[in-house]
Amino acid sequence: MIFLLLLFPPLLAAALAALVKPYRGWVGWITAALSFAPLGAALSICARVLEGEVLTSGAGEFLRADGLSALLALCIGFVAALAAWLGPGLAVDDGYDAAERRSYRVFSNLFAFTMLLAVTAHNVGVMWVAVEATTITSAMLIPLHITKASVEASWKYILIGSVGIALAFVGTVLAYFDFVNLAGEQPTALNWTSLLHSAPVLHDAVLKLAFVFILIGYGTKAGLAPMHTWLPDAHSESPSALSAMMSGVLLAVAIYAIVRWKIVVDAAVGPAFTNRLLIALSLLSLAIAAFSLIGQRNYKRMLAYSSIEHTGLTCLGLALGPLGIFAAMLHMVNHTVTKSMMFLLAGRVQQRYRSTEIAEATGLAGTMPVTAGFFAAGMFAIAGLPPFGLFISEFALVRAGFAAGRAWLMAAVLVLVVVAFTALVTHLNRMLYGTPPQSIFVGERERWALVPPALCLLILLILGLMLPEPFSRLLNKVVEIAAP
Amino acid sequence: MSPLFSQLAVLGSSLTLIFALMLLWHRSVHAYTTAFMWQSVVLAAIAAVVAYFERETELYFVAAMFLLLKGWLIPRLLRRMEEPFGAEQELQPYVNTATSLLVCGLLVLFAYAVCRPVVALSRLPTRAGMPLALGLIFVSLFVIASRKKALTQVIGFLMLENGIALLAVLGTYGIPFVVEIGVFLDLLLGFMVMQLFIYRIRETFESIDVEQLGRLRH
Repeated sequence: MIFLLLLFPPLLAAALAALVKPYRGWVGWITAALSFAPLGAALSICARVLEGEVLTSGAGEFLRADGLSALLALCIGFVAALAAWLGPGLAVDDGYDAAERRSYRVFSNLFAFTMLLAVTAHNVGVMWVAVEATTITSAMLIPLHITKASVEASWKYILIGSVGIALAFVGTVLAYFDFVNLAGEQPTALNWTSLLHSAPVLHDAVLKLAFVFILIGYGTKAGLAPMHTWLPDAHSESPSALSAMMSGVLLAVAIYAIVRWKIVVDAAVGPAFTNRLLIALSLLSLAIAAFSLIGQRNYKRMLAYSSIEHTGLTCLGLALGPLGIFAAMLHMVNHTVTKSMMFLLAGRVQQRYRSTEIAEATGLAGTMPVTAGFFAAGMFAIAGLPPFGLFISEFALVRAGFAAGRAWLMAAVLVLVVVAFTALVTHLNRMLYGTPPQSIFVGERERWALVPPALCLLILLILGLMLPEPFSRLLNKVVEIAAP
Repeated sequence: MSPLFSQLAVLGSSLTLIFALMLLWHRSVHAYTTAFMWQSVVLAAIAAVVAYFERETELYFVAAMFLLLKGWLIPRLLRRMEEPFGAEQELQPYVNTATSLLVCGLLVLFAYAVCRPVVALSRLPTRAGMPLALGLIFVSLFVIASRKKALTQVIGFLMLENGIALLAVLGTYGIPFVVEIGVFLDLLLGFMVMQLFIYRIRETFESIDVEQLGRLRH
């Protein structure tokens, strides 16, 4: 029942938007209102998981939600609601025509549905199908405005994304092969709990090979270097609401898939193998992201590279034992809130300045004072400054690294984080001050659209100043699952 | 029954690999589509052979889906694209034919090396085909990376999907049915979106050469 409330409303919203042609304003408002249903359902799932329940539903436990699924469902529900309220289709003048608004309402809801399905599917094969479907639904939205750049970005995204995800399927098939060899064919064989249950007797060599494919595959979607090349293009050319969904939660969904498989493989071969791979890829991601941030000229690409940096940090945390996993999950949630807010604010800036170049979007502090204030706070947050949540999670992550005896690794990470910090603050400085282009409108428009970012900022402050008790219990549930 | 069964499996897998290699020396979209179509037909035949020898009725359905979707529907859609795009041939890929063949030979060897633990583990009569399926996957990846025309890349991607399907049929006699259906659906939708994007690339760039897609840097 609760799963119905989680998965059905986005489908209903997509169907409604698809059926009403041409696009009407009330469709937008109804789909926005419907976006609260999955968020509510996710909250309720979280509450029930905290009471020790594991929710299942459907034939052969088709859907299943434990602490990890609940946490991800909450993130997806939150960002999908943000994107529904601030995306094209509600504001009077958002620069999109009726056909584009309709297409946004259809595909953003399908995108949300596929992500929710990916984190609640019990069968890892179905999880794969859902993740692959996220590529298709989100790719349709990148060239909402058809320009050379957006067409190029969408092609790179669908090609690299599909090929990457196909490799994850090779890994899934190899793991299934191992299972079938051992236990014979069963309809529930790809259920995550069955895999985990039989993991200790599965074969090391085959599972290791499978995990390499899976990490490359889902890592492509998560934006891990060196498979990250689609990410800056797709994030910078998409409509901002879609960038918020992709950067905020799509990356987290891909990380979720990696975590699910890591748990199975760790149960079979011990964590050393997966940790080594994760550390190598995340360090590379951090390095590439930090140095790419320095010379950035486009503020949406800057945010995209920062997402690669934070994906790197999250995956690094996964490799640092229980403390690290706690930090990684906290970091993922913090990043979800911050980055979705930042892309939505960047969308506001882009709409005013009609440009995504840092050099052309100057004098923000004068032209859009409130937006500029929020944007600056968000930049400090992604740069890892207190009192925001990302500071706490990065601190916890580094502490976990030292506790795991990886002092040199943490030293390298700290250097890279400082490089990224310097780059971000320099760019922010250029955007806030300086002379704005002449003839630009001064003052805030659509003031109600600033309420959701304010809410995000509040959440970030709360996560940075004190970890609410139910939330830390939920994170501990995840740690129990991921590091038994 | 075993010798005939495993011989058929290896024969079929080798054929699918050869159809992928044809992409390396042919230049026209027409030849690529033909290669993909026949590869899919062979794949369907392998699935049917496995279904027959192992009495897996579900696999007959999968074989029929391969034939319908990959052997008929997608090639048909590809043929329709030959008209507008056929003139754009893969004249100068990033890697020339001789080097491509050499690289692909090495990739197949690599697939054999990687597959050793997998083959050693299996007791199935079809196991000898698995390295060839992985080889097909690697060769398809190489095609996607080394060709310049968007349409060639799509055919490479379709062959990659065939390689995975072959791996699943040979190694596990098919994946659970609900997943299989999802995979078919994803493949079809993904292909249709790619097709749409190719038309868009052509409209905005007046060619489908991906070399022009170099505006977004840094």
